[in-house]
Amino acid sequence: MQTIGQEQYIEFAIEKEQYGISIQDIHEIIKMQDITQIPNVKHYVEGVINLRGKIVPVISLRKFFGMEVKDYSRATRVIVVHHQEDTVGIIVDRVNKVTTFTDIQPPPERVGGIDGNYFVGIGLTNDGLVAILKLNEVLLHERE
Amino acid sequence: MLSEYKEVFLEELEEQLQVMDEVIMQLEQDGETEQVVQSLFRAAHTLKGSSAAMGYEDMKQLTHEMEHLLDQVRCNVLAVTAPLIDLLFQSLDCLKKLREDILRNDASETDISQYVQNLRAFVAAPIEPVALPQEVSFSSLPELSLQQRLKVQEAQDDGLLVHWIRVKLSPDCVIKGARVYVIHSNLSSWGEVYYTSPDIDGLEEQTNDAQDEFQFLYAGTQSGKELQELTARLTEVDYVDTILFPDEANIAEEHVNASYAIRQGNAEATTATQTNISSSKSPTIRVSVDRLDHLMNLVGELVIDHTRINQVERMLRSNNVDESVEGLSQVSDHLSRIIADLQDSVMKARMLPIEQLFNRFPRMIRDLTRDLGKDIELTIGGKDTELDRTIIEKIADPLIHLIRNAVDHGIEMPQQRVLSGKSRKGSLQIRAAHEDNLVVIYVEDDGAGIDPEKMKQSALRKGIITVEEAEALSDREAIELIFRPGFSTASSVSDVSGRGVGMDIVRSHIQKLNGLIDIETKLGEGTRFKIKLPLTLAIIIGLLVKLGDQTFIIPMGNIAEIVRISHDEITMVRGQPVILLRNQIIPIVWLHDRFNIRRAEQMKDNIQLVIVGSAEKRMALAVDELIGNQEIVIKSLGSYIGKVEGIAGSTILGDGKVALILEVSGIINQR
Repeated sequence: MQTIGQEQYIEFAIEKEQYGISIQDIHEIIKMQDITQIPNVKHYVEGVINLRGKIVPVISLRKFFGMEVKDYSRATRVIVVHHQEDTVGIIVDRVNKVTTFTDIQPPPERVGGIDGNYFVGIGLTNDGLVAILKLNEVLLHERE
Repeated sequence: MLSEYKEVFLEELEEQLQVMDEVIMQLEQDGETEQVVQSLFRAAHTLKGSSAAMGYEDMKQLTHEMEHLLDQVRCNVLAVTAPLIDLLFQSLDCLKKLREDILRNDASETDISQYVQNLRAFVAAPIEPVALPQEVSFSSLPELSLQQRLKVQEAQDDGLLVHWIRVKLSPDCVIKGARVYVIHSNLSSWGEVYYTSPDIDGLEEQTNDAQDEFQFLYAGTQSGKELQELTARLTEVDYVDTILFPDEANIAEEHVNASYAIRQGNAEATTATQTNISSSKSPTIRVSVDRLDHLMNLVGELVIDHTRINQVERMLRSNNVDESVEGLSQVSDHLSRIIADLQDSVMKARMLPIEQLFNRFPRMIRDLTRDLGKDIELTIGGKDTELDRTIIEKIADPLIHLIRNAVDHGIEMPQQRVLSGKSRKGSLQIRAAHEDNLVVIYVEDDGAGIDPEKMKQSALRKGIITVEEAEALSDREAIELIFRPGFSTASSVSDVSGRGVGMDIVRSHIQKLNGLIDIETKLGEGTRFKIKLPLTLAIIIGLLVKLGDQTFIIPMGNIAEIVRISHDEITMVRGQPVILLRNQIIPIVWLHDRFNIRRAEQMKDNIQLVIVGSAEKRMALAVDELIGNQEIVIKSLGSYIGKVEGIAGSTILGDGKVALILEVSGIINQR
């Protein structure tokens, strides 16, 4: 058990599941952009976007977690995160809010059918549980 | 302190060595003229001075001997003969080695004693003291550091006289250290002492009184004679001698002035010319390439933003035309001119004339022809063609290799040339020129040409191709075997070329530069290599094409031509669709398949083909639509995505979308 001070997280959703990313890792959140596909890259890499003159790769979290692929909606957002020297965009169904957790528990082996290694832990809020992404594990994923 | 100056020194060194190279060549070809000997002498003199200032003793010594030898030539004591020229070349090569030593580890490893001896042996007559009295005695004086030299220069500029004062104390003087100290303080009261040898600080404790000769570097208003008298008056001074410190700056321009003065016929003109000379040197500063790269990137951003502004303007215009759109369009036009100018200037700042590379060739050819016993006339054209500095650096090796090949394998021995009814003297032409935003370099010889049959056999012997492959090869393909790794047609491995590196190195270098290479050869008549290179690597001209609904960019440097063909012009060879274009069989590739893009419906009768190439290889890319040319800035896809086969990078188009730039070499090699 660890108590977390006031560290803030962005809470977002894919389908009905809530996920979180530490706000410190987040560069900005943007609406869906025109994506230029890149041939012969990992299946979950959707392509690249132009973020004010900078080329930023974007990945689909749905595809990464092997979930059913759905069309983008008005609520679709790209969470742009810092990753080492790079900036990477993560496509999510919708962004809910900024949140803090009363408690974070270590992740179980599987989180809703997804490998628990991709998560830092499960955050508890008044509204329910949020699976906190371990960005390094997601972005450095080389297991395919 | 020295490291700051080291770079400046190295730059000067390189420049002077280049000058010497050219001048010695000139001396060999045109014989002795006063002007040529003079400029060679001056180069040696300059190097001697700067290497001494930097403390490179070997280089100083060698240049000193060279200078001495040249002085004898200048005074008509020695005649310019072939051995003398060889000797000069050898010494020059030794200087180049010394330069490399300095570059590597700041200390010379090359043994110069042999060269010094040779030079000395060549100078039959002893030094004529009249020739350069100051320099002869000066060289026996301690060498000054650069800082000290600068101080001297400063004093001289202020109109002070700088003298070396040499004082010999009487042998029975007891505390010489103290005595010297007195002399020093006396001198300091009359003017300024820059330097004392041996060092004044160590003198007082010095118990060993063997040292009785001291040297002071003194700046003041007194003449040499006055100084001698003043110093001699001090007690226990046995002997005083003064030498006026030569005014380096004036020496360097002295000769120039002299020749001008003769031409102008009066002495007054000298001063006028002198001011002209100093003002005509346009001021320069050294800027690191990194900074220029950064500038270039910023300009690239501007180019992108501007295309974006244009796009917005067009959109606004289609909706409604009012004054504000008009205003925007004016600003945008103006902006476009400024950006174009800016881009041009930044690009120019990175450009150098190819001259500095080409100037190396005459010497190289001279040595090669000598070693091989050939007779070759070299013609160089388009020296002032400018291209990006990095490209010049990177094209040097391949060019040198091509030239060596031409001399070694291309041009025949004189006897053989006569037998085949050609002139004894072979001809080698190296030319550079701008051709629509690209630089083209030709290396052309009138030698034996390349025999496709021989190439095939040789490749068979080396196991590079199989018998079936050999039979299927066209002449052109057979000739292009030359670029295969491990291929070298030389029957024996000579020192000149064919050390196993071969032409595939040439090819890979040119490939890296996004360039093309073409061979045209006629048996018995000669061979011509044509290299096409982009002007610069940062901003390129690209052809925008559509594959399906995606826009891709093909770098202009990789495009050989664009053709439109009908479906029935396509033939199948071993299951591969090809077209025949001017007797060349070119495979056609639909990138759609590789990139998982749906091919456009074949509604049209014609197919648009972009013939692309990388080094010597060609391929026809079938595209759905040609959009047009555009200047583009290459942006990397970033380390998250990493290297994608067939994609060189990306760029941002006018509408803000990202387009991928094709990497033609990768696509061709993927087959």
